[in-house]
Amino acid sequence: MMQAYFEGKREASNIGMLVAGLIFGFAVLGFLIAYGVAFGWVPLGERIDILRSSLNSVEHIVIFASLVYAACCLRTAYGLYTREQASLRWSQWMLFVTVMIGGAILLSVAIPVGLKFSLLLGQHSDLRNAIAADTGGLASMALAIGEALISICLFVIALLALLALLVFLIPPLESLRDRPGARLIASPPRKFVQAILTVLFAGVVCFLVAGAAVVPEYPGQTTIRDAENHRLLAGLLFFLPAFFAYRVVRQVEEQSDELRRALALTPGKYIRANLAKSPSAGAIIGFIAIFMGFTMATDLFLEPSSVASFLSNVATKGVIAIGVTYLMISGEFDLSVGSILGVTALSFMNFMTHGAPVFGVVGPVPAALLAIFIAFILGAINGVLLISTRIPSFIVTLGTMLAFRAITLVAIAGGRILRYSDHHESLPVIGISNIVFLALAVVGLGVVAFTAYRVLPVLYRGASHAWSIRRNNGDFGTSGAIVRSAVFALILLILLAIVVWLLAVLSYHGSASGGQIVEVGYFDLFNGRVLQIGSEGDFFHMQIPRNANVRLAIVWWFIFVAIFHVVLTSTSFGNSIFATGGNEGAARAQGVNVDRVKLQNFVIVALLTGIAAIYETARNPGVDPLKGTGWELEVIAMTVIGGALLTGGYGSVVGSLLGALIFGMLQTGLVLVGIESRLFSGTIGVIIIAAVVLNTLVRGARQN
Amino acid sequence: MQYEQKNSDALVDMIDIHKYFGSVQVLRGIDFHVDRQEIVGLLGDNGAGKSTLIKVLTGFHSLTRGQIFFDDQAVNIHSPHDARELGIETVHQDLALVPLMSIARNFWLGQEPTYEVGPFKFLDKKMMARESIQALADVGIHIRDSEETVGTMSGGERQSIAIGRAVYFGKKLLILDEPTSALSVGETQKVLDYTIAAKEKGMSVIFITHNIRHVYEVADRFTIIERGHKLGDFHKSEVTENEVADMIVTGQIPERLRLYEEEEEGGD
Repeated sequence: MMQAYFEGKREASNIGMLVAGLIFGFAVLGFLIAYGVAFGWVPLGERIDILRSSLNSVEHIVIFASLVYAACCLRTAYGLYTREQASLRWSQWMLFVTVMIGGAILLSVAIPVGLKFSLLLGQHSDLRNAIAADTGGLASMALAIGEALISICLFVIALLALLALLVFLIPPLESLRDRPGARLIASPPRKFVQAILTVLFAGVVCFLVAGAAVVPEYPGQTTIRDAENHRLLAGLLFFLPAFFAYRVVRQVEEQSDELRRALALTPGKYIRANLAKSPSAGAIIGFIAIFMGFTMATDLFLEPSSVASFLSNVATKGVIAIGVTYLMISGEFDLSVGSILGVTALSFMNFMTHGAPVFGVVGPVPAALLAIFIAFILGAINGVLLISTRIPSFIVTLGTMLAFRAITLVAIAGGRILRYSDHHESLPVIGISNIVFLALAVVGLGVVAFTAYRVLPVLYRGASHAWSIRRNNGDFGTSGAIVRSAVFALILLILLAIVVWLLAVLSYHGSASGGQIVEVGYFDLFNGRVLQIGSEGDFFHMQIPRNANVRLAIVWWFIFVAIFHVVLTSTSFGNSIFATGGNEGAARAQGVNVDRVKLQNFVIVALLTGIAAIYETARNPGVDPLKGTGWELEVIAMTVIGGALLTGGYGSVVGSLLGALIFGMLQTGLVLVGIESRLFSGTIGVIIIAAVVLNTLVRGARQN
Repeated sequence: MQYEQKNSDALVDMIDIHKYFGSVQVLRGIDFHVDRQEIVGLLGDNGAGKSTLIKVLTGFHSLTRGQIFFDDQAVNIHSPHDARELGIETVHQDLALVPLMSIARNFWLGQEPTYEVGPFKFLDKKMMARESIQALADVGIHIRDSEETVGTMSGGERQSIAIGRAVYFGKKLLILDEPTSALSVGETQKVLDYTIAAKEKGMSVIFITHNIRHVYEVADRFTIIERGHKLGDFHKSEVTENEVADMIVTGQIPERLRLYEEEEEGGD
């Protein structure tokens, strides 16, 4: 249809104009949102005052985003109006974005309604009778229709399953397979499946309607605010026309091959193809889904205190998960990390309270170094045992898990908890001269400048090349290079700003206190609570709410993820890790020292576990002999959710980060939503299986 | 026990090679040599000891007795890495490529090009992609995208890439272990072409197979192994395809060739 429009056929001009008008309408909507937010008609913060002049940062972002969106819509609508072929690609993207926005708005109504309704049904066993008794009401009608539709669906599906069982699982019915009926069951017609799904969807919608009608009547237990119901209309407004237009605007035959290929890649396909390239596709999808789900289900989820709490909770485990990912990619497995954590934490504390063997009682930094050295030895024991005996790593580390645990149990008799405060009066502090900070800032500046010097010219060349191609073709495609360089330049700018800010803060401190030495607690340096960023009056100043528990380990964690990600993907060591797990024989034949790689990975896991142990101890300066019990499986769960294959050869550090985040979000979110926290482990189990299935599907899609 | 090199001109000369696995005697005194720029077909039935002989040469197994001369030097090869250092590239039957890694990463595995930033070395991914596509094109393998994973490719394509890599990196000797056993007719023909391409690049090739038809076309000489012993060396001009096939199956040297062989043995 759209092709006819571009060819200038008369009968197609209506539909083309309609799509152009629709996109123009979306542009207007974007401007309206920007206007409304900018002038306070659409408040996005906790302000009662409508006539306010100051906007918060979220509102700034929304204004910017909707203006960009509106501009893109305008350009696309203009392109469609002038029958510019390349604009079709943009229109696809604009409509895709609009569908997504509409869908998100719809979901943001549906999820809380559904959740609250199901919680209500669970709490009041007689609620169903009460609704049914209220004959003629919207709720009872919708509930009745919904239950009927869903039960019809279930009945049909059960019938089909039974038939399929009869046809295929009873062996001697070979001759039946070629009958048309059997084929229908094996691959039911598309229309039939669609019909069942539609009926099911209608049933769910009826349930939601019933929920929306019933839930407000129970204000004590739970509420649905008017705002949520009003969003439904906006969501439908966005969703339906955009969805319709997206289906209409399909690819067209183009003159040039390149343009056709660009256009054949619809947004859906493009995103799928890019996702399939990433080892952690399942984790990305899961992360987005769970994050959006909790955000929509409860307002409490995005509170700084909850975000901080889930980040702080998983930061230490996330650090271990990085190492476990390395090990798993190289085809091995470590069950002993929990015990190594216990031993390291214990020795760290012991060196500061009772003294190390040779050095006596030492300060925190030497104690930490010695403790990490002990972790190194334990990891090396794992690795050497594996290499020399060729026992599967599962057995080796199962043994060392139990053996290492004995160390803590024997060292602290009677299950006492070893506390720092029992032996010292105050926590240790270190005086740091601001020259150190200054040096750090200078080093940071150097790194940023060097990166910019190396990367920016290349990116600029790529971008200008892409720009000239665009000019010549009259296409507004091929913009990947341009976007990439713009994003990278932005990141560099932000880094530069941070470094400059660091310099400014330091020079301020330096001048005010006359170059005085800043006192910092050692434990705070390892894993302290961050109370504010910047000082009062700075541009970057951010006061962190008192109830938000932001720990420094989060920062360390992200730094470790960045470093280990680069090592894994861009060094020959990383390459040999993948090869070792992917095909050990091939790796060996190509001259990779497989045993050394495995040993190194066991040591890396142990070192990271040691570092995590220091964080844990610094957060709570007391060591329990059972510290870290059960962590090994949680960490493996994070890694597996993140896309690493248990059989080796595949996985990513970023995936382990996402896996850990999913873990943390579930831990915090389930409590906030009001679901019993005892369901946590059950949910995690379901998520693990779902994530692995998703990863396998995506990898399968890649190979076809 | 001191050994002396018998074939003064050969690239590889393996003399009196014995290999025992416990009490199992797999190789019982085999002499084997490869001349420069020569394609040798190493033939024998399953279990004859072809692969073991090659694994001794490439450092997977250490030899029980015997001596290897490579490039007129007595050498001790203890690991695949040593063999590689000498200039021996091997394409193994099942140990060729890592399925979950991309073509470029497989191609450069174990000898990745890097650039340095201060003390750190990073993979030169651009060069890896460019060079691997170019190098594979040089031996006649055309790939679409060097970022594609090997797991998505057919058996023949994988074998081609493994051979292309070996030709690219191989300095002196290329060993192909059953390269055609799982391939279609067309793919087999391609592999034979790569073999000739390697010879033209100045390399010697050992082509291991139990299927004479695959190797008769390209090989200059055949070495036939029978239960740990060498049956004999035959130049292509001396024997017909059928005679070689018979020898592999029966383990007997035909009447016509026996005299000639004994003369040569006596001449040494």
